[in-house]
Order: sequence, then C-alpha cells, then structure tokens
Amino acid sequence: MADPIILHPDTEFIRDVTRGGGADMKKCFQCATCSSTCGLSTENRPFPRKQIVEAQWGMTDRLIGDPAIWLCHNCGDCTTRCPRGAHPAETLSAIRCAVIRRLAFPRFMGGVFAIPESAVAMLAFSAILLLSIALLPAPSPGSSPLVFAQMFPKTRLEPFFFAVSGWVVLALTVGAVRFAGALRRGGAEGPILSNLVPALMEIVSHRRFAECGAQQGRRWGHLLVFSAFVGLAAMGTTVGIGSMLGLMDTPIPFLNPLKLFANLCALVLVTGAAVLVWNRLKDRQARAGAVFSDWFLLILIGGAGLTGLLSEALRLTQLRAAMFFIYYTHLTLVLTLFLGAPYSKFVHFLYRTMAMAATRQESSSSGWPITRRRQSPATS
Amino acid sequence: MTGRMGVYLCSGCGIGDAVSLEGLAKLATTELKAAVCRTHPFLCGDEGLALIREDLASGAIEAPVIAACSPRVKTDRFCFPPGEAPERVNLREQVAWCHAPNDDDTQMLAEDSLRMAVARLGKLSPSQPLAEAVSRKILVVGGGITGITAALEGAAAGYEVLLVEKEAQLGGFLGGVKKLYPTGTPYTQEEQGGLAEKIRAVSANPRVTVLCSTRVVQTEGQPGMFDVTLENRHCSTHRVGAIVMATGWRAYDPTRLGALGYGLPDVVTNVEIEKMAAAGTIVRPSDGRAVRSVLFLQCAGSRDPEHLNYCSSVCCMTTLKQIGYFREQDADCQVFVLYRDMVTPGPYEMYYQKVQNHPLNFFMKGGVTGVRRDDEGRLLVSADSSLIGARIELVVDLVVLATGMVPNSADNEALLSLREAKKSLERNPTDKQRQEAVAVVEQLGSLEGSQVLNLAYRQGPDLPILRDGFPDSHFVCFPYETRRTGIYAAGAVRAPMDAALAGGDAAGAMLKAIQSIQLATRGQAVHPRVGDDSYPIFSLQRCTQCKRCTVECPFGAIDEDEKGTPKLNPYRCRRCGICMGACPERIISFHNYSVDMIAAMVKAIEVPDETEEKPRVLIFACENDAYPALDQAGARRATYDASVRIVPLRCLGSMNIVWIADALSRGMDGVLLLGCRFGDDYQCHFIRGSELANRRLENVKDTLERLQLEPERVQMVQLAIDNYDSIPALIDDFAARIRALGPNPYKGF
Repeated sequence: MADPIILHPDTEFIRDVTRGGGADMKKCFQCATCSSTCGLSTENRPFPRKQIVEAQWGMTDRLIGDPAIWLCHNCGDCTTRCPRGAHPAETLSAIRCAVIRRLAFPRFMGGVFAIPESAVAMLAFSAILLLSIALLPAPSPGSSPLVFAQMFPKTRLEPFFFAVSGWVVLALTVGAVRFAGALRRGGAEGPILSNLVPALMEIVSHRRFAECGAQQGRRWGHLLVFSAFVGLAAMGTTVGIGSMLGLMDTPIPFLNPLKLFANLCALVLVTGAAVLVWNRLKDRQARAGAVFSDWFLLILIGGAGLTGLLSEALRLTQLRAAMFFIYYTHLTLVLTLFLGAPYSKFVHFLYRTMAMAATRQESSSSGWPITRRRQSPATS
Repeated sequence: MTGRMGVYLCSGCGIGDAVSLEGLAKLATTELKAAVCRTHPFLCGDEGLALIREDLASGAIEAPVIAACSPRVKTDRFCFPPGEAPERVNLREQVAWCHAPNDDDTQMLAEDSLRMAVARLGKLSPSQPLAEAVSRKILVVGGGITGITAALEGAAAGYEVLLVEKEAQLGGFLGGVKKLYPTGTPYTQEEQGGLAEKIRAVSANPRVTVLCSTRVVQTEGQPGMFDVTLENRHCSTHRVGAIVMATGWRAYDPTRLGALGYGLPDVVTNVEIEKMAAAGTIVRPSDGRAVRSVLFLQCAGSRDPEHLNYCSSVCCMTTLKQIGYFREQDADCQVFVLYRDMVTPGPYEMYYQKVQNHPLNFFMKGGVTGVRRDDEGRLLVSADSSLIGARIELVVDLVVLATGMVPNSADNEALLSLREAKKSLERNPTDKQRQEAVAVVEQLGSLEGSQVLNLAYRQGPDLPILRDGFPDSHFVCFPYETRRTGIYAAGAVRAPMDAALAGGDAAGAMLKAIQSIQLATRGQAVHPRVGDDSYPIFSLQRCTQCKRCTVECPFGAIDEDEKGTPKLNPYRCRRCGICMGACPERIISFHNYSVDMIAAMVKAIEVPDETEEKPRVLIFACENDAYPALDQAGARRATYDASVRIVPLRCLGSMNIVWIADALSRGMDGVLLLGCRFGDDYQCHFIRGSELANRRLENVKDTLERLQLEPERVQMVQLAIDNYDSIPALIDDFAARIRALGPNPYKGF
C-alpha cells in the first residue's frame, strides 16, 4: 500500500488560488457533477473534482505535477453544470496561475501578473527600460522620412531585444525543467521529447476546443491568435536576425511579401483577440469568471497587435505627433509580453505542450485519454 | 340487541345495477325478520336519511341496517342519533364494484353480507361508557427546551401544568451551551436561542407549577387519573390526567470510542468543547497551550452498528458552530473536518456553505483508521480518504469527537426482567431458577434506578422502547405516542433532534396529551380508535389466571393481583381486542365486539353444499389497513373471486382461533387472514397484533390436524393499506388453491 499523504495545507497556495479566480472553490462539496461533465475525466482520474479538493487543501505538490490541469481547455462546461457555484473552470485557471508562479524562474517573478498592481509595475518597468534606451545620447541622423530608428536606434534595440529573448528563453527553460521533474514525480510517464511533435499537431488542430460545449466561439478566437502569434514570432525572429546580420534593412517596404505576411498576421491577431474579448463580454458567466491575469494577457496581445498596425500606419502617413508615442507604446506592450512570458498565462503554450506530450497514449484513438464527448448544456 | 330492525337498501352508485335489491329485500323481510325494509336510489341524501329517521321516530324500528357504501365513508351522514354509527353493509366497494353484475355469486355475496350485519346487530349490547372523574392537569417530565415549551403550550391551551426537573434549575442541555447554530433566515448567524426568556415565561406563568431538584418516584393509575409521587426532599402525590415525557438526551459514552483516540490527552468530545467554550477560551487540556489546529471527527460512534445505529442529526451542525469558537479565538487556526457525510438538511446547508467557504476550514470525506500521539505531544490522525483516493495523515493540536445523542429513557424490558429475577430470588427458587435469576441480576443490575417514570405497571416500570432506546410506538404513523396510553414522548428522548425541532415536538406531544384528557373525560379511546366508548369486560368467574391477557396487552393496560387475576385499567385501553384474541377461556368481550359476535357472523354465512361447487373463503381483514385496501380495490373497480366473505376485525391480534375452527367445521373451504406487516418495521396499529395472530396460527395447525384438513386452507398475508393493487391476484390465487384442494369434507355436517 502506498504511503499515506501527510496533509499540511499550503496556505500560500490556497491564497493564490482564492485570489486568482478560485474564490468559490471552497463551495465544492465533491458531488462530481463536473467530472461527469468533463471529457478528461476517467474512471480512475476524476477530473476536475480531485483537483478542486487538492486545491481546497493546498496540496501544492500534487497539483504542480498534475498534467490534467493543462489538458483542460477551459471550456467552462463544468462551471455551467456545477450545482453549488464553485466555478471549477475558473478555479482551474487560478490553479494554473498558482502553479505557473511556483514553476517560475526566478521565483519572485512568479506572481507578477496575478494582481493588477504588479502587472502595472511590470508595464512601467518595460516603459522605463525602453525610455532609457531612447534617451541615451545617440547619433540621431535627422533623416527624412521619419523612421522609428530615430527614437530607438537599431543598434541598441536589436541587441536589447535579443538579450531579453535570451533571458526569457533561460527562464522558460528552467520552468520547463522544473515542470518535467514535477510531471515525473506526479507519475506522468510519457516520453515528453519524442511526443512533442504529435502533441504540437494536436494543439495546431484545435480539436479540443471543438469539444467545448459552453464556449464554442473560443475555438476560432484562439486559433486566430495562435496562428497569428506563430506567424509573427517567426517573422519577427527572421527580420531581427536578418537586420542584425545586415541582410535586411528596416523598415521593410510595404509591398515586400514578408511585410505583407506580417501585416496579415497582425490583422489576424487583432481579430482573434477581438473575438476572444467579444466572447467573454457576451457571455455573462465567462465574463464573471474571467480572471485578471487572463484579461491582462488578452489586452497585452490585442494591444501589441493594434499598436503595431497603428505604428506602421502612422509611419506610412508620417504623422509625427503620434507616431513615436504609439510605437513606444507598442514596444512597451511587446516587451512586457516578452518579459512576462514565463510568468503569465502565456507560458501555457509550454506547459500544456509538455503535459500533452507526457500523457500521450498510443493506445487511445485520440492519442489522449479523453473518454467521451460531452453533451453541450444547451442541448441537454 | 333483539329489538325491531329495519333494512335500508341503497340502489345508487351502481349498487342497483349489480345486485338484485328485490332479492335482498325478500331476504330481509322473511329470513332476517326485518320490521321494515326500504329501497332508495340515494340513501345518503336528505330524502333517504329522512326515511330512516321517520321510522326511528315513529318506533317502527329500533335499529337500522344500512346496506349501501363502505362503513368507512359517509359516517357524517349515516349516524342515528348523531354520533352513533349504525350497522352498515358494504354493498358498494366490496360487492357491486368488484364483482360481476347480476351474477348468482355476486348476489349470494350481497345476501351473506346482509346476514352477517344482522347477526352482528343481534349481538350488540348497550354501551355503558366510562364516566370517572378526570384530572385536567398535565405532568411534564424534564425541564429542558422541550419540557419548557410543552409546559408553555399546555398553559396557553388552558391546562394546568406541573413541570418537573431533576436538576436544580430549568434549561437542560441548552443551559450549558455557548451559542446555538442558526435556525432561521439567513441561516448564517449563530443564535442565543431564547432559552432565558422561555425560562422566565414558564416560571411566571400562573398555570405552570415548576418543581426543580425533583424526581418521579412512582406513577400509578391511568390516563385521566395518574397519581404521580414526586420526591423533592420529601414526597408528595399529585393527580394528573396525562404526561409528557421530555427527558432529553445524554452524550454517547466516549469511553467506548478508544479506537478514535478518546482517552488520549487532547482528544475531547463536542459536548466537552461546548462546556470549555461556555467557560472561556478553549486550550489544549494537556498543556494549556493555544490550539493552532483542530480536527473534528464526525459520526464518532454514530451510524455504526457497534455504537449508535442512527444519525443524531445535530452533530454536523454543531461541529460547524464549534468551528466558529476556534476561529474566534484564532483567525489563522487550521480546522479540519473528517466526515462520512455532512448532514445539513434544508436551509442548514447555507450555514454549511458559509463555514466551508473559509479558506482555513478543511473538509474531507474519509474513514478514520487511527489516532495516536506523536513524540511532540501532537495528535496524528490517519484515515482512508475516498476523495483523494489515498490514505491520509493529519497532525493537529486537538481532536474533537462529534458524538451523538442517547435518549434519556429506560430499558423497560430489561428492567422488567431484572424485577422478575429479583422476585424469583425472594420466592424460594429451585437451584436452576436461582442460577438463572442471579445471572440476570448480574447482567442487568447496573440498570437499577435508571427508570424515569417508575410506572406501577404489571408490564414494567417505564416506557417500552421501539428501537435504539427511543420510546416511540411507531416509527412513522403515530408520532409522540408511546406504548403507554396518556404518556407522550417529545424532543430528543423520542428521536434525535435539535432544539428547533424539539419546539415543534413539544407542542405536538402536548396536544396529544390534551386529546387524551379530552377523550378520557368522555370515556373514549384515543388513536387509532378515537371515540370508541367500548372497553373489555372480563367474566372473571371463568378466568384461569393464565396471565396471557396481562402479558400480551401491547399497552400495559391490564395489571394483575397476586394470584394473577387480571385487573383492567380501562382508560389505558386502546380497544384493539388483543386480550380478547389471547384469552383461551374467551371471557373477554366488548359491548360492540366479542368472540360470540364474530362467531355469529361466521355462522350467518350460508355454505352451499358440495354438489354446488361454490367454495366459501372467509377473510378476516384488519380494519386499519386490509379493509380500507379492499375498499380501495373496489373503488378502482378491481375484480376478484366472489366466493369470499369479509369480516373486519379491530386488529388481527383480536382474532380468536375458535372462529377459524367454527368456519372450517361449518364447511367453509378456506380462511384468509389479512393483517399488517409485523417484525422490526411493523405496521400494526396495535404494535404486536398481527405478530400475535401469526403466532396463534401455530395452534390452528393443531386444530386442522385434528380435523384432518390441509394446513393450506388457512393462510395469513401481510397487507399494507397501499397494497390494494395486489388484492385481486392475492384473493384469486388463494381461492384457486382452495378450489384445487377440493371442497371441505365437513360441508353439510
């Protein structure tokens, strides 16, 4: 028989979950309606009932290494069905936030997006950082037409962003190593690396979203944001490296295929973010249950896309008054997104992928232990 | 009754379409010698009733026989003079509605029904109601919340109340409680309960006499005239009409909960916590240190066949309340609750949610597997958890056992055995008798003095218990009624309940006590034969002192003298007739119910001879469940074999086996007894009637053997009032089996 679990509730964890959107988790009385609703629940793994009781009891170790919380696509069906208003979906979001916080490197950065105060501080930090780059005495050739490089010389900005990227990659790597260790301790045995490709294919397909009953619109919103993000990331890296190596010169002409593609991605990104925002606003329950950090990330992403497009438009129209300010805003949002990536909901791209890779089952037809399709509450 | 009799036939409700009333009228006026026989299409209407009243007024008849609907219906219409029920023939529900219309067999059934009614009427004697002086005072035993509320309710209804409390002051358990859990909207705030106001009100009430530090030394007599001896320094005797027993509860003995750690330092019960909270701050008893973490173990000794078999219904709510005591002391105290099921019915759920919502209150379903003390003096509780699917361990400063309620009642049966054993020792016993008696005294001696009411009854000094120590008489049907008429249990002594429910219980039991006094004043029975003014009459010159009646009376109504001669306390009697069924000498009868009367009804049935191939099945049907079920079957137009002849009995326990012998020796082919379910979940309105009938059937087997008849000819079936759907199959199957056995060879003798 396995050793007993000694229960020492982690009150910090409980507080994080409570503040991060799980304020109603204590209402759960373990009826398991959520588990009978959720397709992720199997006979031996009553999801998310078990995760809720573990969160109630502050069982941090078990939750950190639990891949199931990442397999959840936050469809919200459990919250719709919960007879006690315990909001399991929102609690799971909060659990994920609290887990992200505990996997964070360095740890003190973990809670940066959990509450508005530190999130705003992070924004301000990014703004000041960028401002200091802009204000450093620089050879600013008064060229015409106006280009952003007059404010942020490429010779500073590009190395700066590469340094930041390096830092972010380091932080993500440490988080990933920690998470992999936790998954192993938690009993998930799938070979993460060799399963990465099928896991990514599954993610790209967005099939899981299709099974969400309560919030169908999220699938398209997420798909748009996700695709655009991948496109922009690839584009940004290419252009950044190209520019650094002197192979490309920015700004790239508007009709350059790369530029056209980047603009298309930005439009898609803004549209996707708008769809996600609209979904939340139109659905009273989703609106009420949404957590600050979720909103903040959405605003960062949408805002970065919007200000990016706007900056380009202003540059093309040479509106001097607004152009530098909007670009500055754009860079601030992008930098915050970058710096915050290992600590915000954003990092789910990493942990979810790892969790899916670690739980992939060759035997299951879907590749993952999804037992059955849920009925949409609207049709039951 | 031998006077002039009139038969009134109703042709309404389809009776006239199914039965030949001319044939019945001919039978009435010829064979049955009715002075008058009239037929009316609407007998219960004013015109029909006028016919009967005119005949009574003119002296044409002395007693009517109404052949119409079931005697269970239209009792407000058919009463001459008002209040008196006439003889009724059930032509509607049990003849016209459930048998083939205008059929020979149906007609024969109708005719036999009329014959039986006339036979019954012929055996009626005039009623001579009891008319002794009745006290209107009510004794309430126990001065807790239930007793105080009962006293106030009784006083408010205009009755004198004597409120007796064994402690020095009123208040009972609630007197020592710090707070009560919420019992009203919004169900989130603890309450003070208003006990102090109630104590003031009851103490100031001119109709209530409060006697504290007082015990009941003896209770003699019967409803309307109990003589209660009370001891308070000296003894005094008080006459009261009825008694409300509100002696409350005590905590389950925690010393039996060693498996849950009781006996270790810092393992306490919820009752002990309540006292500690009321006295001030709760600390660890072992070292006086603050409690930083506490674990409540729910169902400690409850819902467990080895301890209390039941849920006390208050421990979960009490735990939720007591969590607040710890939270008040220390906002960061970690409180754990290990439960099997949290029981917070109705709006109590809101309080559960409130308490549960605190982030430092932890609830876990699980079964405790051990409690021990670690080296640092903290308590280590291990459990199987069904919620996280693993064994768990918790280390805490204090463990609280949420123990349940034990009624403050006495085990009457055990006390009776003890008394009998002691008597036996005094009476020069044989060695074997002495050994047995000594064993009983050793086993039960500790119960000596546990009795509360000290009843001077032949059947023991206290209230018989239904189960688990609760002195109820029926789990579902008769709340408050004990098996001692005129004594009503209320509050936690009757069933586990909280203070809020006990208030309603107090009012209910007090109303029952008042009813009992009112009915005693009129010399009438209480539930379920409310208003019956008959009572058993003993022809003592033929009594053999067999004591069967005094032992078998379910209500302890019959005492006995030294020789064993029965002495009836008629006001205790519920008129079930079980004594009548018990008496081998058949010396017990009622003015309107007797062995002779039923025998006459059986004899009135015409038994066709063998060649006609018309078997006769006699049904004795309990009038409480089986008879109404038969009516209901008729009302639903269920059809069944017309060979049956139905005789209602007050209780199957009143069945005297001589009737079965009579029926079989007269050539009837089978006898079916329809009574209530017996056993642990009995449905018998008189507790043991159907069970006793079943036991007496053993004797019938001997009779059948003597007559050389098949034992299958007599069968008893347990039938509840809602089993009417099963009646056609039940009767048809029995009739078919009887037909298969062939005719009774005694036909025509």
